[in-house]
Amino acid sequence: MWLVLFPTLPVLAADTLYLYNWNNYISDETIARFEAQCACKVVQDYYSDNEEMLAKIAAGASGYDLIVPTGNAVESLIRSRQLRPIDKARLPHLKNIKPAFLNTPFDPGNRYSVPYAYTLTLIGYNTAKVKELGLPSDTWALIFEPRYLRKIKGRVTVLDSQRELMAAAMKYLGHSINDTDEAKWKQARDLILRAKPYWAAFNASSYIKELTVGNIWVAHGYSNDMFQADQDARRAGRPFAIGYGIPEEGAVLALDSMVLHKTGRHPALAHRFMDFMLAGENSAELTNLIGSGNPNRAAMDHIRPEIADNRAVFPDAATLRRLEMMRDLDRRSRRVLNRIWTEIKLR
Amino acid sequence: MTKWAVLSPPTLFLLAFFLAPALIMVLASFQYPGEFGGLAPLTDPGDGKEFGLTLENHAFFFSDWLFAEIFARSFAVAAASTLICLLLAYPVAWLIAQSPRRHRDLLVLLVILPFASNFLIRVYAWMILLGPQAALARTLNGVLAALGLEPVSLLFSPCAVLVGMVYVHLPFMILPLYTNLEKHDPVLLDAAQDLGANAWRRFWGVTWPLSLPGVFSGSALVFIPVLGMFAIPDLLGGTRDMLIGNLIKDQFLGVRDWPFGAALSIMLTLAVLSLAGAAAWLSKPKARAA
Repeated sequence: MWLVLFPTLPVLAADTLYLYNWNNYISDETIARFEAQCACKVVQDYYSDNEEMLAKIAAGASGYDLIVPTGNAVESLIRSRQLRPIDKARLPHLKNIKPAFLNTPFDPGNRYSVPYAYTLTLIGYNTAKVKELGLPSDTWALIFEPRYLRKIKGRVTVLDSQRELMAAAMKYLGHSINDTDEAKWKQARDLILRAKPYWAAFNASSYIKELTVGNIWVAHGYSNDMFQADQDARRAGRPFAIGYGIPEEGAVLALDSMVLHKTGRHPALAHRFMDFMLAGENSAELTNLIGSGNPNRAAMDHIRPEIADNRAVFPDAATLRRLEMMRDLDRRSRRVLNRIWTEIKLR
Repeated sequence: MTKWAVLSPPTLFLLAFFLAPALIMVLASFQYPGEFGGLAPLTDPGDGKEFGLTLENHAFFFSDWLFAEIFARSFAVAAASTLICLLLAYPVAWLIAQSPRRHRDLLVLLVILPFASNFLIRVYAWMILLGPQAALARTLNGVLAALGLEPVSLLFSPCAVLVGMVYVHLPFMILPLYTNLEKHDPVLLDAAQDLGANAWRRFWGVTWPLSLPGVFSGSALVFIPVLGMFAIPDLLGGTRDMLIGNLIKDQFLGVRDWPFGAALSIMLTLAVLSLAGAAAWLSKPKARAA
């Protein structure tokens, strides 16, 4: 409330786009090309978590033209009237987005949001160890069932995130990730508590490194991170690779979209940036950099084949149907979940 | 007049940046959480949603043993870290105080040298040192395997959290102890010896009581930051190492429940203040007797 963001550069206001983005979520070349094309400057601020971004916006941060939140955070921003509607007439490249990623439950009719990229929450694993121990890699049972966990005790990390871990447990139990029935949450809690003694840690920050080094063999995490872990392991010449796949029970699909914050002072430039990012070659650059999922049809031709052919990044239609996007919780449910989570952490 | 001129800048600073935020926090702890984070308004917004003040957040804390348990566990970790720091720091501080005057500055500099690099980087270094691929874990697990025992994990354990806490806070214990020990008059020890006290008696009868003010200030400097620390349990802890700092951080950055986070913070502040009050009360008569 008392926190105000002051634009940090003394450049002419009309020439600067203030972008509030995830860490490492746009390639430097893309930025440079946009800056050359529009004769403007792009200033980025970063967040590493939707909640962190929402907390900053709730505290009154202003001046951002564009933010790139995940669906449930988009929903929260729309409902708290933080966003400016987009003008589709200024986005001729919007037609590039695959229909499966438009008209989402969090923003019906895409009045406020334009899809940017997506991530899947899945299981990454040390290919050599999983093969050696005869473990399955395509099911959540790998992180929840003691019969598998016994073989990898202390070598598993799960995300330190209430929603993500509960979503994985709910999916394994055959429920929707957006079910807020307390009885089902308690079922999920019991599943988690049964598996917990076998896990090394709740980890959202260092599992990429731990996988790459070989300390951790199985990690619940994001597809981008697994892509990076695999690249790092290859570069370091490790005797194993990092594999990742979408569990057959389904998983969380996190669609990040570009939205216009109502306090942004350059909506025209922001629209220009959105349309620029909708062009296939620009959109593809991000996927080639971090292995993110891409909702853009026109980007497919520019994506490196080894990524484009990866079914954990570009799932087939049947798998896509088993993926779910997370909805925002109301404050009552948030508190119920909070208590369950504290219990999970403590026991 | 001069006294006021000197005192007013820090007083104003404390009023603006400590007292006012603390009061805002107290108020927030009695408000409803906003639907999308933040706080629900104090006055009726006219949309049928909750507004005004409530005891709900405090009631939520007492509705379950869970939260009290986290408090208890955090206090235990803080107490253990303080005790270990004290045991490690006392001999170091004493040796520095005993060393020739020309070496002391250098030795003190060595104690504070770790501050030259960022705290998170030092914790990351511990992640590597304690990791299963490091020499320490390999040697230990080699010995355990030879004895036919299960290998243990050093990283991601309560032990690792304790190591991190002690490592980071050790200088805060050494420095006040050293400042205190350095001032002791050696004549007192000579007198005790003349009166027939052996080394053991001299320590417990003279040095230790005189050093109590240093012990107390060092303990406070370690205990209180450890209590609120969330980064170390996050990075080094395993699946059961949530402390009060993590819980509070989650309320603000994880689940958008500011009022509950505020209520937890207030309770932590009250707990620390009453503890500090008790310590001050306990230390007074002893200091006088010494």
